[in-house]
Amino acid sequence: MTQAVPPILSVTPSRALVDEKFQVLVENLPPGCPVTLRSLHRSEDEDDWEAYGHYVSDHRGVVSVSEDLSFGGMYTGKEPMGLLWSMRPVPGSRKGLRLRKINVCTPMLVNISVHSGHEGFRDRTPLASALAERWYMAPGVKRIDINKQGVQGTLFIPPGPGPFPALLDMWGGGAGLLEYRSALLASRGYVSFSLDYLRSEHLSADVEFKYFETAFNIIRNHPQVIPDRVGILGSSLGSMVAFNLTAYSTIIKPRCIVCISSNHYHPPGTTLKAGFKILSNRTNDLSKINCPMLLVNGCDDQNWPTVETVARLLREGGKEHLLSRLAYPGAGHLIEPPFSPHFRATKFIILNSKEKVILLWGGHTKPHSDAQEDSWRKILSFLQLHLYHSPSVKANL
Amino acid sequence: MFRAHMSVTRIWQLIEKRMMSCISVHGKLPGLQRAVGEVRRKSSFRQSPLLTATPVRALIDEQISIKGRFLSQNYPVTVCAQMHSEEGDLWEAFAHYTTNASGSINLTSDHSVGGSYVGCEPMGLFWALEPALGSREGLRLRKRNVETPYMVNISLLEGHTSPSEGQRTELAAVTTERWYMAPGVRRIEIRQNNIVGTLFLPPGPGPFPAMLDLWGMVGGLLEYRSALFASRGFASLSVAYMGHKDLPGPQHIMSVGDSYFKSAFQLLQDHCQVDADRIGVIGLSYGVVPTLRIATTIGFKPSCLICINGAVGSPLLDEDGKSKMFESDQKHWEFDDRGYVSFRNVSLPDNLPPESKRKVENITCPLMYIVGEDDLCTASTENADVIEEALRSAGKSHQFTRLSYPGAGHLIEPPYTPCSRASLWKTKPEKLFTLWGGHPAPHAAAQEDAWKRILEFMETHLRR
Repeated sequence: MTQAVPPILSVTPSRALVDEKFQVLVENLPPGCPVTLRSLHRSEDEDDWEAYGHYVSDHRGVVSVSEDLSFGGMYTGKEPMGLLWSMRPVPGSRKGLRLRKINVCTPMLVNISVHSGHEGFRDRTPLASALAERWYMAPGVKRIDINKQGVQGTLFIPPGPGPFPALLDMWGGGAGLLEYRSALLASRGYVSFSLDYLRSEHLSADVEFKYFETAFNIIRNHPQVIPDRVGILGSSLGSMVAFNLTAYSTIIKPRCIVCISSNHYHPPGTTLKAGFKILSNRTNDLSKINCPMLLVNGCDDQNWPTVETVARLLREGGKEHLLSRLAYPGAGHLIEPPFSPHFRATKFIILNSKEKVILLWGGHTKPHSDAQEDSWRKILSFLQLHLYHSPSVKANL
Repeated sequence: MFRAHMSVTRIWQLIEKRMMSCISVHGKLPGLQRAVGEVRRKSSFRQSPLLTATPVRALIDEQISIKGRFLSQNYPVTVCAQMHSEEGDLWEAFAHYTTNASGSINLTSDHSVGGSYVGCEPMGLFWALEPALGSREGLRLRKRNVETPYMVNISLLEGHTSPSEGQRTELAAVTTERWYMAPGVRRIEIRQNNIVGTLFLPPGPGPFPAMLDLWGMVGGLLEYRSALFASRGFASLSVAYMGHKDLPGPQHIMSVGDSYFKSAFQLLQDHCQVDADRIGVIGLSYGVVPTLRIATTIGFKPSCLICINGAVGSPLLDEDGKSKMFESDQKHWEFDDRGYVSFRNVSLPDNLPPESKRKVENITCPLMYIVGEDDLCTASTENADVIEEALRSAGKSHQFTRLSYPGAGHLIEPPYTPCSRASLWKTKPEKLFTLWGGHPAPHAAAQEDAWKRILEFMETHLRR
């Protein structure tokens, strides 16, 4: 008689943007069969990352990761995207790793496989496997290196004639120039400029507002950008820059800003770099902000104390109506686009001293991943409201 | 030429604003609309329409959801698709929609009121693609390189217009990729045991159920259906049997016979990642002839057969199954008033030599026969009748499934791809175009339904 037909594993869609969900389905299993679903990814740094969940097939011999519960592994419960966000370096890997895509023109390849049983699943060859592509960049998005008027960074432009609303995108320290968030924003319809401002040559010079104002105007004056629909999105140190620019610049007027994991309180003897004048000698006065602002914070942020200070500034500022806050219990500092793995602590090189440390970012995986998923959706919704929607007509027609 | 779709009240409201001097008010609404449009673009109050397609990277048989947002309300727009074939020809489709009260359109639920298709057709922009005006005659869209996608540009234009018209304002655009091959599918060139073919394997260890994939007399080696089967979890071997430089003999004659197809079937059986007891055969057009020969020849035991618009026999085969030249006997060829030829009558059962007809009643596995009722190349309906009757007489009706599609033509292929009603058949001694039949909308519906039914049939008979 014929041998048993192996189960079929499908991942739909097999090619998706990183903020899109996928459905992982296993069919043709025996009913009530314990299996392990596993994901495996080799990073650009050649480290292997994996996640896995333990499942049991139903009476039809089907396991649906979107519908069924995981009973163990790296995540439990009903978690359609658990195979991505719960990824960790495989046992035996180097310590303190962080998963970030540097080349956004190629996809992240994730191998999804199904193994029989729960314990010791890795000892057995998979029953079936599939390959998923996760992209930061949609087809037609253009990537352009910018080195203009002293300003450096990477610009992403959506396909189509435009003109488009736009964003100045700034990260924090310890990472180099990260392009993936801008690539994703361009895939969602925004011209997005990931600004390079943390190289040593910037820090030693007089980096005043001027650098950032020039960057903002480069975007604003771009032929494919709508000049009065430019916002700023910053995370960590970048959100501090965003905040200060919006509050104190007399030249630029962003239409809205998003600050992720920002800190509005300056402890004395600040750790911020000498010569980084933009962030010194200013009072953090919320009343100077004149555009809608979204603050996104993790309550378990171990990097900077953030949440406690915002409440005070809200009251003092008198600008509550412009402010929206998203505060996530259990989430840490590195709130990034959704379904990417969580890092409670990673390697970090302190900029001035070049000292290598392990920096504690905070957060616990499950709540942090929920925060990433929820905040990204709300950030996109906030941006769409302020940069895409027509405001009530005060136009000069 | 613009058609005005704004109410007169709205136009007067705009006129009352400051830019009155820019507009000279005439009775002609079109002129007014154009002037008002210019006003809008100059002001600081900008519309920024957004066009999205989800997923932006899709397999050919996946639906793509296209939406437009942040447009004016109740506003006429045209959605247009454009792509270049591998031969460099431009293919286009377009459709006319009107935005709703929220300024949105959604091609999954809205109705086109004109253009390449009408009505609610979520994938109309893909199956209604046609060569652009001025293209060469008789083109057919077939992808040779399945390892790269088709890049289809979708754009949103102002008003109800067409790609060939001069002045069109593009409001937004999005680029989609359409793939025949899923990530992880392996493509393996086969040139062994005298077989000329390409094998596609799904990702993973297997073993996999498999298909032997046979195309028609146009010849060459078409890989895209096999690539899709592998993307759906079936190993699939597409073999060339005529018209390929790596095959013996002149290209316009079928120089291979039964042993060739036996080798191909054997290759699948012997492959370590194929389940030897779960192999089916699919044939389109002339490919049905070897399909039925395999099924009625001792030594083969396919698990299922799928026959699309093909005949039970052929006047061109000798006893060994090798063919004579197709052009040698033209008495049943019919020409229309353009000089295009229909081969339909060649395959009428009464015109087929009795000794060439296969003993279909000997078939032991399930058989699905797909008929395009407007097939102008093969007498599909009549041949389906013969097969059905033969099986019924042998008490095997339960093995037979017929799918019959009104308005569909000969080339029933994977879904959401254009229908060729006619195409270039040969160029020597002079150009000859052949008629395939089929009308775009019913043919598209047939392709969509047939593909789904084919995959279900394969799941049932190759997987369970």
